[in-house]
Amino acid sequence: MIVEGNHFFPGPREVVWALLLDPAVLAKTMPGTASIARVGDDRYEGTMAMGIGPITAAMFDVVITMTDRAEPEHYTMQIEGRGKFGFTRGKAAVTLASEGAGTSMHYQADLVVGGKIAAVGQRLLDSVSKLMLRQGLDAMTRELEHRLAGGAA
Amino acid sequence: MKPPLFEYHRPGTLNDALALLGAHPGAKPLAGGQSLIPAMNFRLAAPDALIDLNALPELSGIEETTDGGLRIGAMTRHSAVELSAAVARRAPLLAEAMPFIAHRQIRNRGTIGGSLAHADPAAELPAVMVALEARLTLASIRGGRVIPAAEFFTGLFATALAEGELITAIEIPPPPPRTGTAFLELARRHGDYALVGVTVTVRLDHARVADSRIVLFSVGEGPVRATHAERTLAGTAGDEAALRAAADAVQGDVDPSSDIHASSAYRRQLASVLTRRALTTAMARAADSAR
Repeated sequence: MIVEGNHFFPGPREVVWALLLDPAVLAKTMPGTASIARVGDDRYEGTMAMGIGPITAAMFDVVITMTDRAEPEHYTMQIEGRGKFGFTRGKAAVTLASEGAGTSMHYQADLVVGGKIAAVGQRLLDSVSKLMLRQGLDAMTRELEHRLAGGAA
Repeated sequence: MKPPLFEYHRPGTLNDALALLGAHPGAKPLAGGQSLIPAMNFRLAAPDALIDLNALPELSGIEETTDGGLRIGAMTRHSAVELSAAVARRAPLLAEAMPFIAHRQIRNRGTIGGSLAHADPAAELPAVMVALEARLTLASIRGGRVIPAAEFFTGLFATALAEGELITAIEIPPPPPRTGTAFLELARRHGDYALVGVTVTVRLDHARVADSRIVLFSVGEGPVRATHAERTLAGTAGDEAALRAAADAVQGDVDPSSDIHASSAYRRQLASVLTRRALTTAMARAADSAR
């Protein structure tokens, strides 16, 4: 499954970069995130609860490893998730470019989803990923606006 | 293929059902069970309790209202709606859509309210209800309210239903004069989830399109109203060129997902083609009814 798109952040690239890599911000903004911690320079571990509609939320253990990090322009995440209902693994590339006073983000993720969730919910994976990503990016944008307005994390 | 443990309640009155729902925050109402029970058997859904609505006769039935419309109880089976002469007469768009809902066995058991509350993005009924400007009657232990279908569907499997709230009935207004409707969907096999579906209503005034409603499904998170296409069509003679322009505009109104059956681009193209065909049929029917 390929998830690709653009998002505009109304703030400078360095600030957006810092937000995107801050585990406290990720925990607050990514839908269903129960916990996330930076356990190494380039490694994050967390748990996420994912559910939609009639599907009772199930916990997933997620490990994210950063590769080819080039601050503040580009990074790639290797993603591995495992839970009762299935697994996901793949990578996501993020590019940030200054655009006026803001930052435009391009993301492209290539994920494999397997297990029960893929067998039963295949037709919904694309919609659910898009929905979660949009909720996460919108929450991240609000967090950015909050910080630029002088608020604390 | 056995569900996890759950409590089971089978109330005999609506008030008891609402009280039980209010008292069990982890409970799910059980209507026809054609989506919920498979999800439980796969152990994807694990509600603490089921409140079975099947012993509440007051929630079933199709009634012709004095204003020329219909009132359909939420627990009315799809088959009953499909076979109803009143529905065929007063809401032909709904009658036309019914045979496309899954398979006969599922329609014998599944309910109209259950389908609307489930809000599957590929479901026919949410789009039909938005196109017909239906109103949903909701009830909870705190009281009742009526909500337009267009405001009921809020996202992917998401509705305006609050915790402990049920759909009790669906009210469909009478069709305005000189109106034609049409329903079309394409699925790989009959009964499969639609790749794309479309419902249209067109109202004529002196051989011009006074207004139309074009609502698609399986192209987004819920029923999607093609507002650009509707505006393109308004005021035209509804001739071939106008219908083609409206169908082209649909491509900008939808943002379909990809899956193993069809890519996003294919669905977008299909949305346009089906809309043109449905509009052609609806225009002919509107002209017939104006004669």
